[in-house]
Amino acid sequence: MIAGEDLVLFERSLRHATERSTGPTLDAALADLGWGEALADDPRAAVSTLFALQGAAHVTSSALDHVVLDVLGREGGVVLPALGRWSPPGRFDGDRLTVHGLGGAGLADHRTALVVARAGDEEVEVTVPVAALSLRTVRGVDPDLGLVEVSADGVVVAEAPKPLTAWTSAVALGRIALGHQLVGASRTMLELAREHSLERIQFDRPISQFQAVRHRLADTLVAIEMAEAVLDAAWIDGAPQTAAMAKALAGRGARTASRHCQQVLAGIGFTTAHPLHRHVRRVLVLDQLFGSARSLTTELGDDLLAGRQLPPLLPL
Amino acid sequence: MELDEFRASLDGWLDEHHHELAPDRAGGATLDQQMAHLSAVKRLAYDAGWMRWGWPERVGGLGGSTLLRAYLGEALTARDLVEPGIYSMTEVLAPTMIDYAAPELAATMVPRLLRGDETWCQGFSEPGTGSNLASLSCRATRTDDGWQVTGQKVWTSLAQFAQRCVLLTRTGTPESAHRGITALFVDMDAPGITVRPIGSMHGLPEFCEVFFDDVPVPFDRTLGEEGQGWSVAMDLLPYERSTALWHRAAYLHRRLQDLLDTMPDGALDAAVLGEATQVLYAFRARSRATQHRLAAGERLGAETSIDKVLVATAEQAVYDLAADGLAAGVAIGDDPASERWRTGYLYSRAATIYGGSAEIQRNIIARRLLDLGSDR
Repeated sequence: MIAGEDLVLFERSLRHATERSTGPTLDAALADLGWGEALADDPRAAVSTLFALQGAAHVTSSALDHVVLDVLGREGGVVLPALGRWSPPGRFDGDRLTVHGLGGAGLADHRTALVVARAGDEEVEVTVPVAALSLRTVRGVDPDLGLVEVSADGVVVAEAPKPLTAWTSAVALGRIALGHQLVGASRTMLELAREHSLERIQFDRPISQFQAVRHRLADTLVAIEMAEAVLDAAWIDGAPQTAAMAKALAGRGARTASRHCQQVLAGIGFTTAHPLHRHVRRVLVLDQLFGSARSLTTELGDDLLAGRQLPPLLPL
Repeated sequence: MELDEFRASLDGWLDEHHHELAPDRAGGATLDQQMAHLSAVKRLAYDAGWMRWGWPERVGGLGGSTLLRAYLGEALTARDLVEPGIYSMTEVLAPTMIDYAAPELAATMVPRLLRGDETWCQGFSEPGTGSNLASLSCRATRTDDGWQVTGQKVWTSLAQFAQRCVLLTRTGTPESAHRGITALFVDMDAPGITVRPIGSMHGLPEFCEVFFDDVPVPFDRTLGEEGQGWSVAMDLLPYERSTALWHRAAYLHRRLQDLLDTMPDGALDAAVLGEATQVLYAFRARSRATQHRLAAGERLGAETSIDKVLVATAEQAVYDLAADGLAAGVAIGDDPASERWRTGYLYSRAATIYGGSAEIQRNIIARRLLDLGSDR
């Protein structure tokens, strides 16, 4: 457990790193700081701190890969689920592997990548040469995120696939990490809009005095705190269903933050001179990773309609 | 006593005494029935000791963490043994007495409330004073023998059942705003008090008008000092937005489960159900964290306005869902279960109005949590 003064120091070092570096440079800084060991030692401190800061500072790293791999007990490169999906990115038909997924910017630098795949009713893992996969650098709405789209169409894999049971747990922890990143981005958007509202004078007063503006910002904070509360709950109860709710609330909260903060920032927030647009772009993609707010909410509703049983009360 | 031990022992006791504790009804109940049942449950729980845990020994409690009484309320409401609104009045008014009444007065009065011997009410709102509490005008004048109170309160919950009232009065000049307010602990059988229940949309006459006509109140019934009434009110509100909300959260969870158990197939849209469930869960997670801060001795403040926004959002989401999922029952059903859903739905419309409206909560969040300064 990282606690007390150690936690303060840990947070400060990570903040320093995320405010000054991104991509491979941030990965190097995280390695120097021993973030990987922290992840093994105290996942909650490592994940919640780093991902919130990453979201807040609008930076990228390969930390999400590490989170997934850590749960699966593996190292190296990994293929993540396709956009909007959370099922394994691979599918075996006999010995032929089809892949449809995403990867981080660092994937191309690895010689091999772990692919989790469905084989009949089972989930299996297999390590494949990155050269056997086709990688497309994604530009899309957020080119800075550095995603690659990964595909393979019926390649023959030399290595025998091994059964795997931890995919659900890996997805759950990935969702929690992304939830913290969405909350971090939302908090930055709120702060940008808050500062602007105090400085921008219209009708001889700061627009922060107008109730319409104040209530948009208040609603943004409420949406953020809802997501934060369920992220905390997900760490406490460890249930994949709670992690899914947290991700959904964080995704919806970030979309709410985008909408309200964009409106408060108005013209300036629509320009590329202002940083808001970068966060708006990012949360649109982050919401989709490992399941969007919309799809996770519908899935929860379907489960409730089928089982007619609410998620249990979080004990006091 | 530790929470885990308390939980296990209490759960056992509640199982064992279910028949004495469960309300004698299939669905709806009149307010008189609910109040009589509440007193009976509080009495049983007090005599068995449960109702005393989490309260200080100097007011008849057995000490221990506030989490103990939070769990008691959770268990009673989640098991549908009491209605949360009337049960949780204790959580709002007893801490005020403990913090502000003279010690002997608190020691005499609080046990009566905990034991269910008495009902207390909270005289805050006035016809001209809804959201702007500091503008209240019900006047208390000093006489040789004590205060003399004249004025009117409105939306006073359960005043027709109450033996006592925590009353906010104006003791300063009309312009003194929050500085000229004094809190009094008033006997409801004092001469000059008239209570008139208000017919309410949800069918239960929970709210009342209360008229004060030269009502004498002894000086030793002053809560805090003269002019300190605003602090009394501000310190009470976080209690209203903490433990009472935790109890309501457990109740809403129970009612949403009841809805899942009874609604016909195909009645609900999955996405709407999923979102209501998430919102309720978020409210509960938030309220749980607030309970732990309270138990750790933290002073609760403006951040509980987020809890209040969430309870209103969650409650309306749950009952909007019920109005769709059990549409026939809510709209044209006259059986007790349908009546209860209808009452709940209609009452939930007030969730964004009472206890500081949704707009007031957002104003507090903007000013105190986002530091946006005054709005004028």
